[in-house]
Amino acid sequence: MRYNVLGYLVAEGFRNFLKNKKSTGASLMIMCATMLIFGLFFLIGQNVNYMLKEIESAQGMQVFMIKDATEEQIQTLGEQIQSLDYVAKTEFVSAAEAYNIVKERWQEYSKALEPYTVEKNPFKVSYVVTLTDLSKSEEVRAQIAQFDNVSNIEIRDKTINALVKIANGVQWISIGILVLLVIISIFIIANTIKLTVHARRKEISIMKYVGATNGFIRWPFIIEGIIIGVIAAMISILILGASYNFVVHKIMESDITSMINMTLLPFNQIFTLVIAVYLILGIGIGTLGSAISMRKYLEV
Amino acid sequence: MIEFRNVSKTYSTGTEAVHNANFTIEKGEFAFLVGTSGSGKSTLIKMILKEENPTSGNIIINGKDTTFLKPKRVPYLRRSMGVVFQDFRLLPDKTVYENVAFAMYIVRATPKHIRRQVPMVLSLVGLSGKAKMYPNELSGGEQQRVALARALVNNPSMLIADEPTGNLDPETAWDIMTLLNDINMRGTTVVVATHAKDIVDRMKKRVIHIDKGVIDRDDKKGGYDSEI
Repeated sequence: MRYNVLGYLVAEGFRNFLKNKKSTGASLMIMCATMLIFGLFFLIGQNVNYMLKEIESAQGMQVFMIKDATEEQIQTLGEQIQSLDYVAKTEFVSAAEAYNIVKERWQEYSKALEPYTVEKNPFKVSYVVTLTDLSKSEEVRAQIAQFDNVSNIEIRDKTINALVKIANGVQWISIGILVLLVIISIFIIANTIKLTVHARRKEISIMKYVGATNGFIRWPFIIEGIIIGVIAAMISILILGASYNFVVHKIMESDITSMINMTLLPFNQIFTLVIAVYLILGIGIGTLGSAISMRKYLEV
Repeated sequence: MIEFRNVSKTYSTGTEAVHNANFTIEKGEFAFLVGTSGSGKSTLIKMILKEENPTSGNIIINGKDTTFLKPKRVPYLRRSMGVVFQDFRLLPDKTVYENVAFAMYIVRATPKHIRRQVPMVLSLVGLSGKAKMYPNELSGGEQQRVALARALVNNPSMLIADEPTGNLDPETAWDIMTLLNDINMRGTTVVVATHAKDIVDRMKKRVIHIDKGVIDRDDKKGGYDSEI
């Protein structure tokens, strides 16, 4: 016999969970399926965002100054750029450095550089500007263009725009799927719990006559919903984790990543977030589902 | 203790189950509520339990008008009354002890209190030796005693019995009625809805008679039929 009230409520919740094995199993499977579909898009979204971040830190835009800019002009522009929103970092590249970079990168064309030396060359000084948010590059570019002594700005718009579009698209799909998942799952859980509630309606009516509060009657069923949600979340995490690891390994082993020079998010870095999201989903859906299914039965 | 003031009840189907009921049951009283099936007895009981609300009039229980009681407060109202039914309503997968203790859990009694109170109530209804048995191992009369123990375990100030002997043979029914009388002697107000004529006649208690929704007779020491 259980005397502790909390213990009693939790034990009743587990008893409910084990009572309708078929319907509980069905709702577990459907919840897992929807959670996995959501998980797939969630992982893709996270990876695209991760790639964007990588690119953001690797490249932003290069702001070239007019030829023969003075020390003072150079410093002023640097400060101006740094003060803008969405600018992460500005890095000054002197003419000498530009000369060295070009010389190193295009060794086969070194002849073209022969008339020049490190000290005396036609390169313009520039700032390499990295951004905190790549989608704002157009804005930042327009602002920088208005500053004095700027000659031209180079930006790789196309790659950036394409990636931002992909990231946004994936994000919207994930949100859409999440909404769908939540609605479907709530109804599935509500249905399962309705069966337990129905099976225990006699007990519920006795509880009401003896003066149990609605909260007390409701708790075991909410706990049942939470148990279903959490177990579905755990199964989904295991399946998603294993397949993600497998796929990432396959991709890493192949030449694709070295070709496009990008890495995928490592498993442990992403899965704390996945676990948190899934558990919150499971618990939230379980609670809501049982609350819905209980509404009718609590009126007496 | 229980006071009905001009209480009428019309169900949404249009049938008027109770028409202008007025009566007061005092603290410590024993009252029968009699009438044929469909006379409105059950509706009266349901309104006392606040399972149904009156269409008009007021019901005052323990000095409080329950007509406008918030749904949230209803459980606390019910804790002041024990209820037994014709069909016992025991939980089949719980033992006698557990069935009674169950009523204490759900009002969040302390474990110590439960351990002390349950055996006491079981001995009051004469079931001390059967605490570990399951309802299907008991006779009908014993099952009704378990239901009575469950109704009494939280020390309610009144006991409401809806056809408590309807499923029992006459002898067992009389035993249960005697037990109800004993409970009444210990200070609990007892209201029994029944149509067991011979028992009502034998008990010589107050009889409130309802016919087609109208209370047509209220005798202090009456019988089922008018004059005895």
